[in-house]
Amino acid sequence: MARMKFLCDAERCIECNGCVTACKQENDVPWGVNRRRVVTINDGVPGERSISVACMHCSDAPCMAVCPVDCFYRSEEGVVLHDKDLCIGCGYCFYACPFGAPQFPQAGAFGVRGKMDKCTFCAGGPEKDNSEAEFKKYGRNRLAEGKLPACAEMCSTKALLAGDGDAIAEIYRQRVTVRGKGSDVWGWGTAYGRPEAPKQPAAPGQPAAPGAKS
Amino acid sequence: MGTTLTRAARSVTAVACLTWLCAAWAQSPAVNATEADQAKQQAAQQLAQPLNNRPVWNEVRSGEPQYTSQRGAETNVLIQPMGQTWRAARVPVATIGGFLFVLTLLALAVFYVLRGPIKTSGAPTGRMVERFTLVERSVHWGVAITFVALAVTGLVITFGKSVLLPIIGYTLFSWLATLSKTLHNFVGPVLVVLLPIMIVLFLRENLFRAHDFAWFKKAGGMFSGEHVPAGKANAGQKLLFWLMVVVIGITLCVTGLILDFPNFNQTRATMQLANVVHMVAGIAGTILVAGHIYLGTIGMKGALDAMRTGYVDETWAKEHHLYWYNEVKAGKAGGEGAPPLAAPQRAG
Repeated sequence: MARMKFLCDAERCIECNGCVTACKQENDVPWGVNRRRVVTINDGVPGERSISVACMHCSDAPCMAVCPVDCFYRSEEGVVLHDKDLCIGCGYCFYACPFGAPQFPQAGAFGVRGKMDKCTFCAGGPEKDNSEAEFKKYGRNRLAEGKLPACAEMCSTKALLAGDGDAIAEIYRQRVTVRGKGSDVWGWGTAYGRPEAPKQPAAPGQPAAPGAKS
Repeated sequence: MGTTLTRAARSVTAVACLTWLCAAWAQSPAVNATEADQAKQQAAQQLAQPLNNRPVWNEVRSGEPQYTSQRGAETNVLIQPMGQTWRAARVPVATIGGFLFVLTLLALAVFYVLRGPIKTSGAPTGRMVERFTLVERSVHWGVAITFVALAVTGLVITFGKSVLLPIIGYTLFSWLATLSKTLHNFVGPVLVVLLPIMIVLFLRENLFRAHDFAWFKKAGGMFSGEHVPAGKANAGQKLLFWLMVVVIGITLCVTGLILDFPNFNQTRATMQLANVVHMVAGIAGTILVAGHIYLGTIGMKGALDAMRTGYVDETWAKEHHLYWYNEVKAGKAGGEGAPPLAAPQRAG
């Protein structure tokens, strides 16, 4: 069984926000909620890099650990999903998540939180696959249709890769070998732990290549 | 190399933890001079080592805000590493706290079985002394009801997952937790209003006096059964007032407000810290209040009537609060206007 992961190639991302728009369009997310966002480091100065970030579907997911009602579950493909019928909108997952993935539509005055909404890896929720109830609460279930997440499919530079962890790591490895730079896989250490990080190819001009970090 | 990296990562985390603890409240924005410095370093880095992205990733891990076009709370932070610390800190806090709470309840039960309710030695005289005015009692019960509601709902939110969920199941527990969260968030601000009133009302009688130390030395006669003389509030009650009402109460109110109103754009670091402090203070407060409720109800005869009707029997006043009783007799207590000494007869 595949283990679904996201991988964002910072050497390719051009901050077009196509992934963000694709996600909003595909999943019809609540007003004021962005399941995915693009962050630019060193904006406007040499060394600028952009990264598209959403829920990374962590191996040891902090949201899952701290949820007081245990509404999270992991699909067979390693996708971290949650049950909005159980969610109480306490915000604990938002405190715990290192990637800022959980979002809360404002449900009332003074920032009262509604039910949490986050990236589902386009895999819906606990309802029947592709049912109307599932779409209303979680958005499209593309995995059930045999498709990959809309954000990665839409990515114009193929910076954002989604799919089986081994497969996308292999694509990334080939890229690094060819271009000889950018061996760091953003966020994988935090999300999937060190052992699962892809093997580091020896990049020219970078003998002591730093491992998969952050 | 792997171990070196692990060690480096660990020390980075440790340093970051310390920094977080110190700086979480301050949330000072990055100094412009440092930013300019970093940009200069970046430029130099691009020339010297064009293929090395290490400084970029160091910046990502720092949790510093970057640029993003998405609006929202902290959308410009790529990785906020302190959530992991918060997650780890919750476990021992909740485990030790929960253990202490259960231990307190057991200790009170054992004490009740061994010691039984504290009674007056002499027979009641039937003459009643006013102990609490209507305003004092109203504020007390207002605080009491809100605090108990907050304690119970807080316990459900904190321990329900491991205690209730396996018994009552997901659907019912989610319903209960939703109710608890909503009650907690709406009752909280009521306590914030009532608590300062309580502090002002009960401040004077809770100032420590010289005779309170003698009371402490004998533990209030809790175990010996001796009636140690005390003012209107005995030293134990004074300690409870300062610890529970003033220190813990204000801590709970401040951290509670930070958590209850996320619309002021406070950062996750602030809320994580507030949450842990709120948990510690909440559990400590619940434990202290459990002791107070025990002594105010089944633990001591006549105590509940004092707060219910506002009056106590002269014998009770003399034995438990001798100094106060003498003051009342001399017409000094209660300030202006001596309380009616032979006011209403006991209802029951």
